[in-house]
Amino acid sequence: MWTIFRREMAHYFTSPVSYLIAAAFYVLMGLYFNNDLTISISVRAADPASVPMFLSFVMVFFAPLLTMRLIAEENKEGTVELLLTAPVSDGSIVIGKFLSAWAFYSLLLMGTFIYPVILMSLGIFPDLGIALSAYIGIWLYGGAALAVGVGFSAITDSQVMAAFLSMSFLLLMWLGDLAGNIVASFDLANLIRKLSLQGHYSTSFAVGLFRAEDVAYFAGMIVVALFITIRLLESRRWR
Amino acid sequence: MIEVSNLSKHYGTHLALDAVSFSAKQGEILGLLGPNGAGKTTTMRILTGYMPPSEGKAVVAGHDVSEESFEVRQNVGYLPERVPLYPDMTVEGYVTFWAKLRGVKKTKQAVLDALEKVDLIPRRKSLVRNLSKGLKQRLGLAQALVHDPKVLILDEPTIGIDPQQIIEIREQIRNLAQSHTVLFSTHILSEAEQICDRVVILQRGKLVAYGTPEALRKQLYPNDYLYVEIDAPQRDKQKVENMLNALTGVESVTHLAGGFTIRAKKDSDIRGKLVEKVLSAGYGLRELRPMAMTLEDIFLEIVGK
Repeated sequence: MWTIFRREMAHYFTSPVSYLIAAAFYVLMGLYFNNDLTISISVRAADPASVPMFLSFVMVFFAPLLTMRLIAEENKEGTVELLLTAPVSDGSIVIGKFLSAWAFYSLLLMGTFIYPVILMSLGIFPDLGIALSAYIGIWLYGGAALAVGVGFSAITDSQVMAAFLSMSFLLLMWLGDLAGNIVASFDLANLIRKLSLQGHYSTSFAVGLFRAEDVAYFAGMIVVALFITIRLLESRRWR
Repeated sequence: MIEVSNLSKHYGTHLALDAVSFSAKQGEILGLLGPNGAGKTTTMRILTGYMPPSEGKAVVAGHDVSEESFEVRQNVGYLPERVPLYPDMTVEGYVTFWAKLRGVKKTKQAVLDALEKVDLIPRRKSLVRNLSKGLKQRLGLAQALVHDPKVLILDEPTIGIDPQQIIEIREQIRNLAQSHTVLFSTHILSEAEQICDRVVILQRGKLVAYGTPEALRKQLYPNDYLYVEIDAPQRDKQKVENMLNALTGVESVTHLAGGFTIRAKKDSDIRGKLVEKVLSAGYGLRELRPMAMTLEDIFLEIVGK
């Protein structure tokens, strides 16, 4: 598993695509932070969760970009045949790849720690409890989104298709938060919201509320997505 | 080292492999021949532990592929038909990756040894994407043997590379057989004839012939064939033909390009008598040679049926 992890990490750091993704990531985060800072001058206090909150939307698009290559490229290049005939379990292939994506994302996320530091240097002291909760939440949230991305990467040999499918899926999961606005039944709306990504982030982690059910939701999503991915990889053997 | 008995594989309703049985001893080079779609790749994929057979049993290096897939994979080096490469890695990095994945101890030494065997040491720092097709093929071979497997399974290792590189790869396969059992597929028959100790010929999933190229030749061609060109006037053509027909051991004589093809009884060497007869009749002898049946002929004979 760690051999796979190391190879994928090395790929993230040697591929120009990852640097482009990282650059786009920081441009967006920087713009958003800057905007929030501007607002904080006149309208309201700076929100310590503003960047992670924005990330919860941005990850709908960035998670697929970070994971689309992971298995789709192995399928395309035929290396998957060699991987599946190496004495390693299908689980360690999938988990190794997932962990590398999560680790790379964690590094990107760490870069955004600069924003609370900037706030403090300006004499604005955000609620660090909320900031911490928002960051832990978005880290788990990102893990779940990446696990979904890895799953879609396993079903195709086209990176574009993998990215498109996982973006669509994640967007749907993200929009579930809005279901309450259009569904007449309260219970149904509540259920849909409970299944959505935002429903477990915007009103809990992002406001400093650390709930076991939200942690379980994201952890569960990671486990289910990886389990399905491992089965998908295994299914190549059944064909 | 490889024992295959009654191996079958269904893809849905399509029967890709139909009760195939063969074996390969240690240090042997076994060729897998057949037209496209004959079941060569399917056989190899089963033997590498990539997918299980539908029926039958395959034992590789003492382990059953269905029950001990892990052990099989540890003992097999595999080069698929399309060489699977990571273009972004260096040659050395690529082989190191596979060595580590297969749990090789003393990775560095093993990698250098493998690269040495395929003459890639001078290019070990190059990026995989910058290698020529022949070098990529050799790199694929290095990957397959870095963990010093007992069995090497090579799917069409000489496809799509230039003649000089083909000769090199063949030479390397022959050298590898000293310490590994090699199963390799090809549809270039002369290649199988040059390298293989034994061949398996598959057609539409069935095993249609199995044995040494020599044995197959004998089995399918129970006669000796000679080609002879005689320096005689055109008007004597019929006379010459009758004369050849009269020789003991000759079964038939047919015209072929300015000379004759003689089908003779097996091992009845008629060449001495033929020369004597031709010369004593006052004719000259331009050419006399045995016509060896190549594996190509055998293949066409079997597959064409």
